[in-house]
Amino acid sequence: MSLLAKIDRRVFYWILFIALMVPFLNPIGFPIRIMENTRDLYEGITGDSVEPGDVWILNFGYGVSAWPECHPGVTVCAKALLREGAHVILIGPHTDVELTYNHLLDTVQEDFDAAEYGVDWVFLGYITGGESAIAQLASNMRSVYPTDHFGTPLDDIPMMANVNTWHDVAGVLSSDTGDWGGYFLTMWQEAYGVPMAQIGIAMLGSTGIPRWLAGNYFGMSVGSRGGAELEMLIDEPGDAIIAMDSISVSHLLIVIAVILGNIGLLIEKGRGS
Amino acid sequence: MSQILKREVVYAITGIVTVIMFLEYFFFPESTPWAEMIRTWTVIVYNISLGLGAVRLVMAHSMSVQRKRENWQYSGLLLATLAIMGLTGFAGYFMTGQPTQNAIYNWMFVNVYTPLGATLYPITGFYIFSAAYRAFRARNVDAALMLIAGCFVILSNAPVGEAIWLGFATIGEWFRFTGQIPGMRTFSLVGTLGMIAYGFRALLGKERGFYAGGGED
Repeated sequence: MSLLAKIDRRVFYWILFIALMVPFLNPIGFPIRIMENTRDLYEGITGDSVEPGDVWILNFGYGVSAWPECHPGVTVCAKALLREGAHVILIGPHTDVELTYNHLLDTVQEDFDAAEYGVDWVFLGYITGGESAIAQLASNMRSVYPTDHFGTPLDDIPMMANVNTWHDVAGVLSSDTGDWGGYFLTMWQEAYGVPMAQIGIAMLGSTGIPRWLAGNYFGMSVGSRGGAELEMLIDEPGDAIIAMDSISVSHLLIVIAVILGNIGLLIEKGRGS
Repeated sequence: MSQILKREVVYAITGIVTVIMFLEYFFFPESTPWAEMIRTWTVIVYNISLGLGAVRLVMAHSMSVQRKRENWQYSGLLLATLAIMGLTGFAGYFMTGQPTQNAIYNWMFVNVYTPLGATLYPITGFYIFSAAYRAFRARNVDAALMLIAGCFVILSNAPVGEAIWLGFATIGEWFRFTGQIPGMRTFSLVGTLGMIAYGFRALLGKERGFYAGGGED
């Protein structure tokens, strides 16, 4: 056991690295069950829940580092909304918001090609100012965004002609690594009752699920698993479903490591007593 | 005079802003042009603070390079990168109206920033795996309970858990959808009550941590 206790940490890095390679080279394809919170999110942005012409805000509250966790879910939601004929306003509080927007143009390419910029979707770009800016967005969008990301005044964008306050928005989807979903919750959902849902990293599940159970969020996608479930719901397998095998392997290895580490501890304790 | 500007005026502004925002949020959500004006100022101040932050960053790291402090090379790299991104971004903006229209700026963002950013989260997985073996030890009952719950939650989140034994999903989901809820709600409520208490103390001028000079009464 003493030998086990002295294993160099690089050995663990290599074990994980090699183990993660296996599902990429030879996909396993464990079945993925769809959770109720994810189904609620999908049903809230499809079917009778969305009328053609409804305006939805899609917030990129994540940077490049969280693409694997958040972007598959955002991709499915953008596809679903555009296919329902909804109009989508894209914003983001990260400095790399333009990269995320360009990435979305790639991952939702067919649907964006079938739609028209300024009529079906608009990219307002970077937002700063924290909770105050989100509150201000609810009462006067033009004071926060006089123009879209490309410098076109909002009044010159057909889709934005009659959109300026929370009254004109049917719902909010916030994809987050941190606080932005909470800002929309406080300043849009709780203040005015605007329906909202979150597409968060796995860590946000513990804060988001109570909000979904309380009815604040009409649905929630949690991490890559949520993204994979959404991909299954829209029936278009993508990056998240591919990643789920790796997540299975890494999670299993972590549990095995915890068990092995504690067996060592128990043996040491046994010897001591 | 300076003491008045530093303290009383700041207290007065804080108090007035707090009252306006409080009244707007809870009583007059649709008819408060003053609140709108204050929020617009907030957004402007935030944006100014970004520029101020950049200036402070340059000053601090320039000093580090100048005095050859420990790891000053990283400061030099930061300044060089800042200069390249700043100059190319502004060049792109002034020539085309879009910073990303500059080839160098775009290349740096796509080929340097993106891979680095994408590496940030996955790399923590390696540390967690190592830590799972070395540090996650059930040294007492509390730690053991937390570890067992954690293992069930991990295996319920990964499809492999269900493939091994359906019970992993059932128990893990109980923790996620039932077991953790009272704790998180209590945490949220206590945090919110603390924020309200903080707000009232600020309104009454008793919370001086963010005023010039800081400290508490």
